[in-house]
Amino acid sequence: MQSLKPFEYVEPATIEEAVSLLSDYADKGKLLAGGVDIMPRLRHRKIKPAFILNIKKIQGLDYIDGNGGDGLRFGALTTIRSIELSPVIRKDYSILYEAAHQLPSHQVKSMGTMVGNLCVGTPASDMATSLLALDAELKIVNTSGEKILPIEDFYIGVGQTVLEPGDMVTEVILPSVMPGTRGSYQHLVRTRADISKVCVAVWITITDGICKQARIALGAVAPTVFRAKKAEALLNGRELDQDVIEAASQAASQETKPITDLRSTAEYRKEAAGILVKRALNKTLERAKA
Amino acid sequence: MKKEIAKFTINDRPYELLVESNVTLAELLREQLDLTGTKCACGVGECGSCTVLIDGKPTLSCSTLAIAVREKDILTIESLATREGLHPIQQAFIDHGAIQCGFCTPGMIMMTKALLDENPDPTEQEVKEGIGGNLCRCTGYVKIVDGILAAAESMGKEGGR
Ligand SMILES: Cc1cc2nc3c(=O)[nH]c(=O)nc-3n(C[C@H](O)[C@H](O)[C@H](O)COP(=O)(O)OP(=O)(O)OC[C@H]3O[C@@H](n4cnc5c(N)ncnc54)[C@H](O)[C@@H]3O)c2cc1C
Ligand code: FES
Ligand code: FES
Repeated sequence: MQSLKPFEYVEPATIEEAVSLLSDYADKGKLLAGGVDIMPRLRHRKIKPAFILNIKKIQGLDYIDGNGGDGLRFGALTTIRSIELSPVIRKDYSILYEAAHQLPSHQVKSMGTMVGNLCVGTPASDMATSLLALDAELKIVNTSGEKILPIEDFYIGVGQTVLEPGDMVTEVILPSVMPGTRGSYQHLVRTRADISKVCVAVWITITDGICKQARIALGAVAPTVFRAKKAEALLNGRELDQDVIEAASQAASQETKPITDLRSTAEYRKEAAGILVKRALNKTLERAKA
Repeated sequence: MKKEIAKFTINDRPYELLVESNVTLAELLREQLDLTGTKCACGVGECGSCTVLIDGKPTLSCSTLAIAVREKDILTIESLATREGLHPIQQAFIDHGAIQCGFCTPGMIMMTKALLDENPDPTEQEVKEGIGGNLCRCTGYVKIVDGILAAAESMGKEGGR
């Protein structure tokens, strides 16, 4: 098996040190978290950094704080496994639990960080799809300061985020959950172990039977994860009945811009996206009535 | 490139080793220490054959830099059998025909150890989900699941190990 190309290895002790080194190294540096995504890229020589900067030794980045009532935050080193095991997330942010739980590999969930998953930038990320429906925000730090960015503005293309060399994501912030909010996560895979070929996350606040705020996020059916806003508009202010669900599912399907690859054809993805939105809306309705 | 002397605890034994930063844990174990029980099949995180435990957590040694886990507690398949005999998981795998070519077995057994340490009495579904990151080309998994459930039962009787 091919070994890795040599690089300098550094372990910053603080966020300040990390972003200062990242800014010095510029495009010669690469930040390492769980390594699940980077290590295969290093092995296949897809990236050839001169410096690897391991952030795992920075204290205080592995936490889950808060609850649905107040909003919740987790850090750059919080693993997918910790998210899956968190009782608060399972209860108050169920679609994030569902996205984490479906990941088949225990090892990947224990090693991989949620933030690392987001930073890879693949449109097939179950986690990004779910966090987009939840309207999450990311805290991005560099040597000039920090800013908070909605996850909706984080992705610009396949494998591309707005992060510049020198930027580090330190935290993910979830808004508080309004009473009556329910949702569902749905996806299709070739085999249990493969990545999603279509994924859908729905998160809706229903008051007195009426949709007050609906968010529908889709993954793997466009260059980035995206919100089906035309479909959302069909739901807002309406009762979630079969006619509305059918219309919203069709609208969401029309909003996709899928490609054909080894997992599926574009036509199949477009149609399946509509079916998954319908399933997710029906599941949400069922949960709202429960 | 930097070479560093680093301290490791592997299978409860302390080591001081000269490691290069680009060496993976799988390479350190197999090539530097001759601990060839740990297997490396895909090398990219997809198959689980290289699974070891780091501070008790199931970890893919092909996707871990050795230097990043210095000072940590590393357990490989070689840690399980003692002078008294095989570990109950190893015995249960043999008894239930859960091993054919054996290439997936060390990773499968280390994942099983992590699973049973966390959940000593898993359901069949929990066992299947627990080994979701471990591929086996031979057995069809049924006998592996049987072996894991039997191991859980025998370890429960013994009061764990
Ligand atoms: C077998 C397998 C199954 C998988 N299944 C799924 C699945 O079902 N669904 C899914 O969504 N994903 C899946 N994945 C992807 C996996 O979840 C991600 O690769 C993993 O979570 C990446 O996190 P990491 O901490 O290991 O990141 P790393 O590999 O360490 O880093 C990934 C990238 O993010 C950057 N980065 C990491 N942290 C930060 C930070 N704080 N600030 C800025 N940049 C950062 C790194 O520089 C790098 O470019 C799977 C992967 C494998 C191998
Ligand atoms: S060799 Fe590590 S996961 Fe396959
Ligand atoms: S026994 Fe051969 S791969 Fe599992």
